[in-house]
Amino acid sequence: MRSALKESRTNMTRHPAPRPLALVTVGLLILGCAACTSASGETVGSADHPGALAKNCGTGKKFKIGFAQANNAEPYRQHVNSELKQLAKGYPDFDITIADGRGDSNKQISDVENFQTQQVDLLMISPFEAQPLTPTVSQLYAKGTPVIELDRQTTGDKYTAFVGGDNQAIGKAAGTYTAQKVLPNGGEVAILEGLTSTTPAVQRTKGFTEGVAANPKIKVVAVQPADWLPDKAQTVFDAMLRANPGIKAVYANNDLMANGAYLALKGQNKVGDVAIIGTDGLPDEAGGDRAVIDGRMTATFVYPTGAKEALDLAKSILVDCAKSVERNTVVDTTLITKDNAQAAIDKARN
Amino acid sequence: MSTQPMDSGMETAEFAVGAEALTALDDGKPPATAGTRKWLRFRFLIRFQSLLGLVLVLFGGIIFSPRRNGEILFLSADNLANIVRSVSETGIIAVGMTFVIIAGGIDLSVGAVLGLSGVLVARLMIDWNYGTALAIIIVLIAGLLFGVLQGLVSNYMRIQAFIVTLAGLQLARGLARFISGDKFINISFGSGPKQAPSSFSVLGDRFGGVLPVSALVFLGVGIIGSVVLNTTRFGRHVFAVGGNERAARLSGINVRYVKIVTFAICGIAAALSGILDAGQLAFANPDSGTGYELTAIAAVVIGGTSLFGGEGTVVGTLAGALLLGSLNNILQLNNINSNLQLIVTATIIVLAAALQHLASRRRGT
Repeated sequence: MRSALKESRTNMTRHPAPRPLALVTVGLLILGCAACTSASGETVGSADHPGALAKNCGTGKKFKIGFAQANNAEPYRQHVNSELKQLAKGYPDFDITIADGRGDSNKQISDVENFQTQQVDLLMISPFEAQPLTPTVSQLYAKGTPVIELDRQTTGDKYTAFVGGDNQAIGKAAGTYTAQKVLPNGGEVAILEGLTSTTPAVQRTKGFTEGVAANPKIKVVAVQPADWLPDKAQTVFDAMLRANPGIKAVYANNDLMANGAYLALKGQNKVGDVAIIGTDGLPDEAGGDRAVIDGRMTATFVYPTGAKEALDLAKSILVDCAKSVERNTVVDTTLITKDNAQAAIDKARN
Repeated sequence: MSTQPMDSGMETAEFAVGAEALTALDDGKPPATAGTRKWLRFRFLIRFQSLLGLVLVLFGGIIFSPRRNGEILFLSADNLANIVRSVSETGIIAVGMTFVIIAGGIDLSVGAVLGLSGVLVARLMIDWNYGTALAIIIVLIAGLLFGVLQGLVSNYMRIQAFIVTLAGLQLARGLARFISGDKFINISFGSGPKQAPSSFSVLGDRFGGVLPVSALVFLGVGIIGSVVLNTTRFGRHVFAVGGNERAARLSGINVRYVKIVTFAICGIAAALSGILDAGQLAFANPDSGTGYELTAIAAVVIGGTSLFGGEGTVVGTLAGALLLGSLNNILQLNNINSNLQLIVTATIIVLAAALQHLASRRRGT
């Protein structure tokens, strides 16, 4: 939960939508990325942005890429790292190094400085905190190194491109799914929120509420925070069920709370009576994909890593000598159900 | 005092442990044999173990440094400056910690005091309109008072420093979160409302574009600390109190005063680090500095200061801090797994402590 807290504070700085706590796989259902990414159409490339594009680019060269990760100790960030390493095998020109910021801005600044000393050809970064990392990243960019930011942004505009998910869109996808597939005939729905001071919790809940509004027969009867925590979710949902025995579906802002809801249902012998929709969809053993396979969850929505999109951007900058690249790439979520959960896990294992 | 003949006494010392070695060596006479001279030389080396370690790591850095167009990247001015900057906050804390540990204490609150000071200096300037100098002075005094408070509680309520400062850690973290409203504080510079004076941003600057201000402050603190510890009467009292508290008291030293002042020094050091942290990052986070107390203690131990008190040097601590920074730097430049960095650090801490123990046994202290 520590990560969720950090997150919220980062968000309060001045950043739109970073990611929440623990989450995801992209990769999966990438049914052709033309369909799944939406782009702003904004591009950069001017005197103000010396690092926007590569000075040294072309085919047949080797490129060093440094990835400054915020904190390897978070399951989501580990998943980003492993996906990035796995996908990088498909880019033989790239030599990718990952540095662990250990959840400390001072450490992450050193990591970026060391990448600068090593003269990397491109920097990827998920800043642990936005403002502290901004000067160092801007400086690297000003000296002509392209910067791709993953999942979280620095302040200002001194970076080449940003790749990340959209929490509100993910919540909306879950809401639409609930309205159309889970409860097409309507019914009572409950929401378990993450820490309400965190932006991802607020945005996911907002998106979900918008999504279920598509079906007027659905009634949201209970919305309560469980602070991202499974044990708290269990207590909260247990009480919700007793107060509203007609609940037909519950949406949780993360998979951990979804698991708490499952435990509450189990305690009341109601497993199977209520659909559980989670968020995150991490492919590891403790993650949401496994819970979907085991029937502890009906479905979950992936918070994407953006690793593939970031590597594609790096390729167009370094190998293809692109004249311009997408400034903002929002990666869509993926629905995980029993049909594709095993495939998602297998894909992550390769 | 030993009544054994000198030579056989030395023989015993080489293989003896604990009290036996103590009685064998502690006879107050000038050592005379060849064996003694050999150990004296050895002792000299151990005394500066961290400096030697630092030199070894620097050589390692040069040998294993990645190169580009013949340039040794490790030795580039930027990189060396980065190393000093990267250890400046924990290094300043380590200098203060050296005083506390030599006097036989420990201070676990420093990381939390760093977080508290960063938040406090930010709010003073942004929300309460204090100027840079006044805000810094207030925070330094707050750090001093925090240290004095811990010293008073520890000495007058007779609670171990470990426990008092463990409580101090919680207290400082709680205060930091309270003062910040449990939020991050972005520091923007300028003369408008809700802005910090531009002069505060100097802390994040680099002299001549190379030497970071924080690194200079760190080196300055090291020099002052070293001078105070080695040349002042207070410095000698710190050693006396840590070496043998009873003997120090009997010889007329105000033991409580000395101990309380060491905590005050450490509190000021932690506050200074917090100010630098906020200045460098233009950002104050109540959770900043988490775990820094342990990094600082590691630097002190590697520097050859005994956790039992009574011996140690600030120069050793500086070398210890720089050694840790250089090591992390060279491992990172070679893209060595960051988990391995922790393992290597662990090994060095144990090695340094073992050498230290060996040295004090030889000396019979």
